[in-house]
Amino acid sequence: MELLKVENLSKVYGMGDSQVNALSDVSFSMNKGEFASVVGQSGSGKSTLLHCIGGLDTPTRGKVFLDGEDLFALDEKKRTIFRRRNIGFVFQAFHLIDELNVEQNIAFPLLLDHQKPDQKKIDGLLEMLGLTERRNHLPDQLSGGQKQRVAIGRALIMQPVLILADEPTGNLDSKSSRDVMDLLIHASRHYQQTILMITHNDNLASDTDRILRVTDGCLKDMGGKAHETLS
Amino acid sequence: MKHYLDLIPLSQKVHRKQSRMVRLCIILSVFLVTAIFGMADMEIRCQKAQAEINYGKWHAGLQSMSDEETLLISARPKVLACTRYDTLNYRLSMHYQVEGREAVIIGFDESALDIFPTARLVEGIFPSEEGTAAVDQGTKERLSLSLGDQISLAAPDGSQRFYRISGFFGQLPMLARHDVCGLALSTEEFRRLSLEGSEDNHDSYLYVAFSPWCRIQKEIREIQEQFQIPDERINRNELLLATIGQSRDLSMMAIYLVALILAFLVAAAGILMISGSMGSNIAQRTEFFGMLRCLGASPDQVIRFVRREALCWCRSSVPVGALLGTVVVWVLSAMLRFLSPAYFGEMPYFGISLIGIAAGSVIGVITVFLAAGSPARKAAGVSPLTAVSGNASGLKQPARRFSGKLPFAGLRIAPPRIETVLGIHHALGSKKNFLLMSCSFALSIILFLTFSVTIDFMKHAVKPLDPSTPDLSIISPGNTCSLDRDLAERLTNLEGVKKVYGRSFAYDVSLQGAALSQKACLISYEANQFAWAEDSLIRGSLSETINGEGILSVYQGDSSLSAGDEVTLDTGTGERQFTVSGVLSSCPFQAENAQELLICSEETFRDLTGENDYTIIDIQLDRTAGDHVVSEIRGMGGENVSFSDRRLNNDEVRGAIWSFQFFVYGFLGVIALICVFHIMNSIAMSVSAHLRQYGAMRAVGMDSRQVLEMVAVEALAYGFCGILTGCAAGLPLNYFCFEKLITLRWGTQWYFPVAPLCVIFTAVLVSMLLAVCGPARRIRAMSVVDTISGR
Repeated sequence: MELLKVENLSKVYGMGDSQVNALSDVSFSMNKGEFASVVGQSGSGKSTLLHCIGGLDTPTRGKVFLDGEDLFALDEKKRTIFRRRNIGFVFQAFHLIDELNVEQNIAFPLLLDHQKPDQKKIDGLLEMLGLTERRNHLPDQLSGGQKQRVAIGRALIMQPVLILADEPTGNLDSKSSRDVMDLLIHASRHYQQTILMITHNDNLASDTDRILRVTDGCLKDMGGKAHETLS
Repeated sequence: MKHYLDLIPLSQKVHRKQSRMVRLCIILSVFLVTAIFGMADMEIRCQKAQAEINYGKWHAGLQSMSDEETLLISARPKVLACTRYDTLNYRLSMHYQVEGREAVIIGFDESALDIFPTARLVEGIFPSEEGTAAVDQGTKERLSLSLGDQISLAAPDGSQRFYRISGFFGQLPMLARHDVCGLALSTEEFRRLSLEGSEDNHDSYLYVAFSPWCRIQKEIREIQEQFQIPDERINRNELLLATIGQSRDLSMMAIYLVALILAFLVAAAGILMISGSMGSNIAQRTEFFGMLRCLGASPDQVIRFVRREALCWCRSSVPVGALLGTVVVWVLSAMLRFLSPAYFGEMPYFGISLIGIAAGSVIGVITVFLAAGSPARKAAGVSPLTAVSGNASGLKQPARRFSGKLPFAGLRIAPPRIETVLGIHHALGSKKNFLLMSCSFALSIILFLTFSVTIDFMKHAVKPLDPSTPDLSIISPGNTCSLDRDLAERLTNLEGVKKVYGRSFAYDVSLQGAALSQKACLISYEANQFAWAEDSLIRGSLSETINGEGILSVYQGDSSLSAGDEVTLDTGTGERQFTVSGVLSSCPFQAENAQELLICSEETFRDLTGENDYTIIDIQLDRTAGDHVVSEIRGMGGENVSFSDRRLNNDEVRGAIWSFQFFVYGFLGVIALICVFHIMNSIAMSVSAHLRQYGAMRAVGMDSRQVLEMVAVEALAYGFCGILTGCAAGLPLNYFCFEKLITLRWGTQWYFPVAPLCVIFTAVLVSMLLAVCGPARRIRAMSVVDTISGR
């Protein structure tokens, strides 16, 4: 089942001599439950692609359909609401709210959506993330790996149709990187969670179902191993 | 946590230091409004109490109303109280006498005791029975009267009436000043007296007090129409009406209009101050708002977040500001009471001004809400990308790209240094920021220029007491030179007496000069009076007159004598020639029948008239001198002389001066402080915004002195434009307020406010200097690495 469809996506920065084509006619699609990675050199346009798919940035041309909804046909307010309900973000720098503890950080997107946090669901998530013991800790009291696990929990709590992860292991040591990767794979396989992840690490990319390479704004589908559950 | 807004208190707890400046701005704004409105409230209460004491609690005085009309008026639902009030010999021209002393006779209903607080009985009861009367406290003391005593009233026709004293009422300034007795009768008793001897010679008024919650002017108009009362028969207690905002006096209403403008300006200053500090606070948290947007917060939610955050700051800051304002009101009230108890005796020590607190709190909250609008929109406009792209430096980059071309390149002068150019570029980089910063400087100047009009208002409204003004005067019978010189010396040695100075008068002195021949009034001065006269000397000198070789004249238009004129005086004891050694602009006396006023030394007076004693002895008392000193002086003066007691009047004038000076200079001081604080805050915020850029410049070799120069030039650019804008807007406002407050009332024409401009320019320059010093110290103290990372 096709969940994400990107059609002729282009992004141009600047004008005239200083014009930069960050993305050129990028088209691809992803099925539900698929875990794809985007690789490429610095400045190749990976992050721009992720931001456009996530609705954080507006493309110059092209369309993004998520679960059949044309993301950029929505006005700013509706897009924001659609984004918070359907897309989860995981960032390299975690971006947790320092004043909130682990549990509150995870529940925060629900509160933004005026939903009452389901304690059972949060407990289950904390257990899956291995953070039950640390639920009352503030981000300052956590290691990098733990912080990223909280960020993943925060992305999962809304049960979004798509998780976009921008180098989630970029700030972590190899052990923590492995843990985070396992967690994402676990989410993909057990919850049928569609994930699009940017990474520099070829080893981590090889663990995903599919690899997309971006070079000078152009995307090439490198294929990948078949999805174990789906295949 | 049940709502995303619950994050606010948690965040505020952690980032208390970050929001310190915003909270300080809110406290300052609320404090300012509470203090200003609180003091204005206290002043109005005090003015109201004074108006009630001096003139009574009535709102309208209707002349010559019949008893039937009186009944109809008193039955009106909006009328709280009314009294008939008749006076005989009020202008002291009819010569009614109580026990041989000049007396004013008042007839009123018992309800007058409520309407006229000074008529309130301090002892005994209202003289409702036939043949009874009440007298004032001064008369009681002078005639050693007690309740039940009998006094006689002599009418001008020679007839006598006797009254039994039923009570004593308080002291009235008019009675004390003219040293006359006050005899109060019931209206019925008064009419019996007036019908007997002096029909239609008395003033008859019906004084009416309305409910303060009704439209009093409308009520008065209705009564006027109903009873066909012409305007000249209606008196309004304008001062009392003004204190409850019901005056129709244009100049009174102009004061309210100006007060409204000033309140608006203060609120605008508050908005700008809070908005500026909030904007800075938001700018420092761009990444946080970007992250909220990333997590799915809509722009509306971010706006709500910022507004709620601002209101949460209000929760702690508004009470602190209101409390500080109230404490300042207490301190000022206590000081005013201490400095001028006669005038501010009614002011409460610990009065709570609900109006002040409400105005401070409401304006504070509204100001914060309005001030939060712009930063909230700014926060809502933060792109979610700001958080994820790593470019959220919190810096406001100049919108205009630096052209690299020096602005003075076309001029044949030495090019300015790079730090100067960068300073100007930083200031002009963002037009919006430049406009805001210049406006904040300009607002300080506008505020000061507008408020400074109140100094002129004060100078016009309250004339200070002349240094020669006496507290007590002893006047000889028939204005003759019959007050013993020894009396003055004995009075000088009395405890509680500060100064004693006597004068002798010789009337109808023949004066002959080169081109005039007329009568003159010759007055002798002693050392104290000559010293005071020095200030009003406009031509010539005093020394020859003091030495007995000349005389002084008082300027009376074109026909006045000039210094150097030769005149001949004849007092009946022989002619003598004098030179006019000097001319005084004015003196504390007025000559009767347009006689020339001439002043000479005591020796000259003695030589000319042969009189050695005084006509008047003036006495100034120490602040601590009580009534017993006055009684003693009265005793020493003897029976035949008249006394004039001006203490109450003098206290009133002194009180008014103190009150005005306190308010006007106090407010101007607070405003100057706000200007200093506001400018320092603005520069500090601008520096914070550019901190990382300064760090980068230091990293590439700029030394801290150069950074300081850059910041100073930036501040100067804001200051220069702010001063121009401030003058452009402030001067017309100054003119408008001057016209409304002063020209409308006293006719004085507006003049260019040089002194206020000098003061505010100095304040702006000093503030800029102080504002630059703080951040410069911060930049110097920070390591380059810290500055770049903005830690």
